[in-house]
Amino acid sequence: MNAVTQHTLTIMLQNETGALVRVAGLFASRSYNIDSLNVAATADPAISKLVLSIRGDDQAVVQIVRQTRKLIDVLEVSHQATAD
Amino acid sequence: MPRNRTIVNAQLMNTQSTPASAGNLHPLAAKSMSGAEVIVQVLADEGVDVMFGYSGGAILPVYDAVFRYNATHPNDDGSEPLPLIVPANEQGAGFMAAGYARASGKVGVAVVTSGPGATNMVTPVRDSMADSIPLVVICGQVGVAAIGSDAFQEAPVSTIMGACAKHVFLVTDASVLEATLRTAFEIARSGRPGPVVVDVPKDVQNTALTFAGQGQLPIPGYRARLRNVQSAQLDDAGCASFFEALAKAERPLIYAGGGVIASGAAEALRGFVADFGLPVTTTLMGLGAFDTTDPLALHFLGMHGTAYANYAVEDCDFVLTLGARFDDRVAGVPDKFAPRAKFIAQVDIDPAEIGKVKTVDWHHIGDLRRTLERLREYGAAHGIQPRQDGRYAAWHAHIAELKRVHALNYDHDSELIQPYAVIEAINRITDGRAIISTGVGQHQMWAAQYFDYRAPRHWLSSGSMGTMGFGLPAAIGAQFARRDATVIDIDGDGSIRMNLGELETVTTYGLPVKIVLLNNRGDGMVRQWQKLFFKGRFASSDKSLHTKDFIKAVQADGFTWARRLERKEELADTIAEFLAFEGPAFLEVMIDPDAGVYPMVGPGMSYAQMITGDFIASRQRAAGDETLRNDMF
Repeated sequence: MNAVTQHTLTIMLQNETGALVRVAGLFASRSYNIDSLNVAATADPAISKLVLSIRGDDQAVVQIVRQTRKLIDVLEVSHQATAD
Repeated sequence: MPRNRTIVNAQLMNTQSTPASAGNLHPLAAKSMSGAEVIVQVLADEGVDVMFGYSGGAILPVYDAVFRYNATHPNDDGSEPLPLIVPANEQGAGFMAAGYARASGKVGVAVVTSGPGATNMVTPVRDSMADSIPLVVICGQVGVAAIGSDAFQEAPVSTIMGACAKHVFLVTDASVLEATLRTAFEIARSGRPGPVVVDVPKDVQNTALTFAGQGQLPIPGYRARLRNVQSAQLDDAGCASFFEALAKAERPLIYAGGGVIASGAAEALRGFVADFGLPVTTTLMGLGAFDTTDPLALHFLGMHGTAYANYAVEDCDFVLTLGARFDDRVAGVPDKFAPRAKFIAQVDIDPAEIGKVKTVDWHHIGDLRRTLERLREYGAAHGIQPRQDGRYAAWHAHIAELKRVHALNYDHDSELIQPYAVIEAINRITDGRAIISTGVGQHQMWAAQYFDYRAPRHWLSSGSMGTMGFGLPAAIGAQFARRDATVIDIDGDGSIRMNLGELETVTTYGLPVKIVLLNNRGDGMVRQWQKLFFKGRFASSDKSLHTKDFIKAVQADGFTWARRLERKEELADTIAEFLAFEGPAFLEVMIDPDAGVYPMVGPGMSYAQMITGDFIASRQRAAGDETLRNDMF
C-alpha cells in the first residue's frame, strides 16, 4: 500500500530573489511539513542546492515533486525514499 | 527561515542576449532611457494595447512615461496607443486586466503602486492563477535602500505574491529590468498560463539605462521543462493504446476543461467530435470550448451542472479528460466520479495535474490542440470511424433522451420573476454570441446553465477562486478587448456591491457594457446552503433591510438607461429595449428570493445522489439529504 515514509528531495535552484521562500512556501501551502532543510552554495554561484526531507506516501511525494518543478527558478528536483 | 531577498548576483542576473543580426535589431536599441521608459517600451513591443491601473507615489515615474509615450505616439485616429484605464480600486484594475485576457486570449496588464496598491491586487492575481489566466502586473515598490525598513506604502510584495502568482520578480538591479519584463510576458503566456508580478522599486524606474531591444532572463529549468512539454508528440504506440481502449467502449464521453480554451484547441475538439462522435460535457471553465447547442453537447457538469451531463458521467464507460482537473466541484467524491468508466484518459499541459485527484489509465502531457490533431490523423490513417460506423448510435440516442427528460426547468407559473426566465429572454436575443461575465453565487450558476455558449472566450467567470465582485470589472476589461461585442455582466446584489465603484468606470470611458442585476435581496447561494445545511438560520445573508436604491446609484454614476423590472409581463419588452440601447445600460430585476440553483450535487455527494429540485426530472428520489454534512464545504 501507500506507506508513509521519509523522503529526501534535492532541489537545484537558481539563486534568485525570493526563490527559497517560494520553495518553502509551496510546501507549506500544500500542507507538507519540512522535517529538515539544508541550503548550500554550489560551485556555480548562480545555483543553490537545497536538500530537504519530508514524510508522506509515494503519491503525495510525487505530487509535491511535480509542483516543485512548476516553480520558475527550480532547475532540477530529484528524490530518494528511505524506509522510516 | 533564511531569506535571500537581497541577493542580486551579477552573474546569475546576466541576461541572455544573442547577438542580433542587423535585420532584426530593435530601432530603439542603444537609446538612452529611464527605467520607466524601458518598461513602457517593452509593454508596447509586447503588443499591449490597453492597461489598467491606479497611480501612486512609487509608480509615478511609469505613469509619467506612459503619458509621454501616448503624447508622442498617437494612433492614426489620434487615440492613445497605450490607454491606461483607471478603476475605483486596484482590485478593479486586476479584474479588468483578467477580463481583457479571458476575452482576448492575450496577456492582461495592470500597473499599480506599492503597498496598498499592490495588496489590493492580490485577489485578482490569485484568481487568475487559479483559473490559469495570463497577466503581467507591474507594482511600484519603495526605493531599494528603503526595502525592509517599514517605509511608507511598503509591503513585502514578492513574498505575498510569490504564494499566489505563477512567478514574481523583485527588480533590485536596474540593468536587468528590460530582460525581466520581457521574461514576465514569456512566463505569463507560455505553458499553463498564469499571472506574473514584477515589483519595481522607484529608484529602478528612475535609473538611466540603455535600451537593448532584446534579451530575456535565463530561466533554464522552466524553459527546458516547457520545451519538453511543447515538443511532446503523442507516438504511434500512445495513439494505438488510446484507440484500442476506445474500441472497447460503448459509451465514451469527453470531459473538457478550461485548458481547451487556453490552448486554442476548440476547433480541434470540434473536429475530433466530428470524426469520432464522442459526446462532450465541459467544466464551468470550459463553457464555450464546445458549442453548447450541438446535439452532442451536454453543457457543463458538476455541483450545479446539468442533470443530463451528470447522468451521462454516471452512465459512461470511457472518459477522455481534456485540460480539466477533477476539481472538487466536479469530482466531489473522486472514487465515485464516472463509476462505470473502465478507462479514463487525460491530456494536460501540466504534469502535476495527471493523476492528482483521480488515477487515470492513459495520459499524455502536451499541447491539447496538437494532441487532438494527432489523434485525428492517426484515426484517419487507420480507418477508425466509429461515428460513421454507427457504433455509438445507442449511446447517442441515450444522450438525446437524457437531454430531453432531464432538461433544465423551473417554475413557469410563479407570479414572481424567475431568474432563469430573465437569462432565457436575453439568450433569445443574443443567441449564445454575447460575452457574459458574472459575479459569484446563484446568478453565476444560472448564467452558466441557461445561456448558450457557441464559442470560446464568451464566458468570463471566477471559476476556481469564486471571487464575488468579479463581474463588473471583468466586463469592462472584456469590452476593451472586444469593442464591438455585446458584453453583459450578469450580477447579483451581493457580488455587485463588492466592486460597485467600477460603475463609474463604465460611464467615464463610455463603454456600452450591459449590467443585469438579479436582485434577490441577499446572498442567495449562502441562503440556499443555510436552508440545506443550517436549518434555515440565515446568518448575515439576508439583505432585505438594506436600503440601497441601485437605480439611483447608477444614475448618480452617469447611467442614462437604468430601470428596475418588477412585473413579469414586462420582461420581454424591457430586455429587448435594454439590449438595444447603444450606451451603458443597467437593468435591475427583482427576482423570486426563493429561487434556487438546481440541480445540486451536495458537497461530499456522488452524482447518483444529485438533488434536482421540484422542476427537473430526477432518475431516483434524492436519497442523499441525510448524508449531507455541513463541514464538507
